[in-house]
Amino acid sequence: MTAPAEIFDRGYRRYEGERTGVWQAMRSVLWHTIRSVLGIGRKGRHKVFPALVALVAFLPSIAFLAFAVLIGDMLSEELRPPYWELFGLPILVVVLFATLVAPEALVRDRRDGMFRLYLSTPLTKPTYLLAKFAAVMAVMAIVVAGPVLLLLVGYTVQNLGPDGFGAWIGVSGRILLSSVLIVGFMAALSLGASSLTDRRAIASVGVLGAVVGVSIVVGICVDAIGLRHELRVLDPLGAPVEMAARIFGEVGPAGESRGSAATPTWLVFTGVAAWTTVWLSVLVTRYRRLTAV
Amino acid sequence: MAVLTTSGLTMRFGSQLALDAVSVDVPFGVTGLVGANGAGKTTLMSIALGLRVPTAGTVTVLGFDPGHHARKLRAQVGYVSERNVLPEDMAASDFVKHLAEVRGMPRQEAKGRASDALWLVGLGEERFRPLGTMSTGQRQRVKLAQAVAADPSLVLLDEPTDGLDPVQCDEMLSLIRQISEEFGIDVLLSSHRLEEVERICDNIVALDAGRLVAHGRLDALVGNTATVTVELVEVDDRPGAVDAVERYLRSVGLEVNRDLARLRVGGTDPHASLDAIRDAVASADARVRRISTDRTTLEDLFTRASS
Repeated sequence: MTAPAEIFDRGYRRYEGERTGVWQAMRSVLWHTIRSVLGIGRKGRHKVFPALVALVAFLPSIAFLAFAVLIGDMLSEELRPPYWELFGLPILVVVLFATLVAPEALVRDRRDGMFRLYLSTPLTKPTYLLAKFAAVMAVMAIVVAGPVLLLLVGYTVQNLGPDGFGAWIGVSGRILLSSVLIVGFMAALSLGASSLTDRRAIASVGVLGAVVGVSIVVGICVDAIGLRHELRVLDPLGAPVEMAARIFGEVGPAGESRGSAATPTWLVFTGVAAWTTVWLSVLVTRYRRLTAV
Repeated sequence: MAVLTTSGLTMRFGSQLALDAVSVDVPFGVTGLVGANGAGKTTLMSIALGLRVPTAGTVTVLGFDPGHHARKLRAQVGYVSERNVLPEDMAASDFVKHLAEVRGMPRQEAKGRASDALWLVGLGEERFRPLGTMSTGQRQRVKLAQAVAADPSLVLLDEPTDGLDPVQCDEMLSLIRQISEEFGIDVLLSSHRLEEVERICDNIVALDAGRLVAHGRLDALVGNTATVTVELVEVDDRPGAVDAVERYLRSVGLEVNRDLARLRVGGTDPHASLDAIRDAVASADARVRRISTDRTTLEDLFTRASS
């Protein structure tokens, strides 16, 4: 015997319950942006590029782990890269990812009218930008922190990780700190450069120019013109990796190979902080002037 | 209490005066904000949303000062932008749900309400379609759905019928009326199409070059006047009939403007004028071609007020 059918058509009605606040609104924008950038809920072609870039970013870690699995304990420490180097190996891939992520996160909203709709809600320009910044950081963390964390976990499983729990926590902390600083720097730079135009392609070229172009100019200034090597702290490609090296206590051979052995650690951090501040200022200034309605 | 109250509201962009000391009370119901392009409609809406700070004067929306309580206010306001651009590859239900969440609906509630709002605007079956595949009319409905999904107290609609054909336009206007009548949501509708505003609005606020030129209940501002126009037929077997009618009407104290066989009869009571016309036509044995009561449209009112 079957139960009688019932129709539960609630229809549109007034809402009597609690309303969530601005944090929920920010969370929604953050999650919506992450989904949009990664192509979740969109056509297949929107998923290809993020997946491809993420795969390339993870390749060095996967290769080192494969060695570790195949050779095991015989893999000498010299053949194992320090963790901070994993921030440097895929740096161009990270930059490539930034050229996709920030324009998609920011420019798209201005082009398809979402920005003006957001500002008609409890969101304000600062809370909107904060949500976007967090979303871009979260997505970029996949290719910045992901490979290093994978290597740490892989080595730990293979008994090649840090000795003891304290050391493991120390390395994890350094990886997380480095990741947050690098990702914050890249997010500020890419969002700042993207804020200057309403065209995604131009924004991508702008992000690329702001990283690779400035890096080339700094290289020419130091290597060809012979200006002081401390100027390298303004190299958007090199300085973040150098910063990670310093966080891991590497100032010797690694620093020398980068031609900045004599550069004090505080100056490296200042260089990265300066770029981050400059691009955040560009972003905030640009959005302060934008009118929504 | 009014939905929106302004007092001496002034907005200046450099040397350009967008709003010139506008003082108005917008009552509950559907209110039409009318005026030509550049009249200050969008500026007034952006101030009402707390997105612009006025140069002078005060504004209160739903009892809130938008300058100080913008977040609280905007949680209770739905907004439909004039621009017809939406995220192309986003499903209508995702779009409406996302904006309902941003406006303060809990996640599960937002999902259900997005669906309900899309059914309300007639897109229940289409709710999973990407916005880019929808027609202009459907996209306008989606915009309306996102504005009402979070159960606002007030909806601001900026040119909601732009780009719609007459049938779609009718449907959109009916929906707006339904939202106000059935669910008690107040509507401030900005439009330069006066006949649309006249069809669905209870009240109007008319702006011209930033100045308030008319406001109040629509039925008090437009509608039948006391003037009656009667058009007579001049026929050979009744010479002087038109003159006789005119003489009769003047003799009972009515004001008559004559243009050949067309008489415009002014008075204070249209029913008394009609009675007098009936008697005049009967006594003169005149023949009537047409008789009508004059009507003031919103366009007449706006033209008169602007000039």
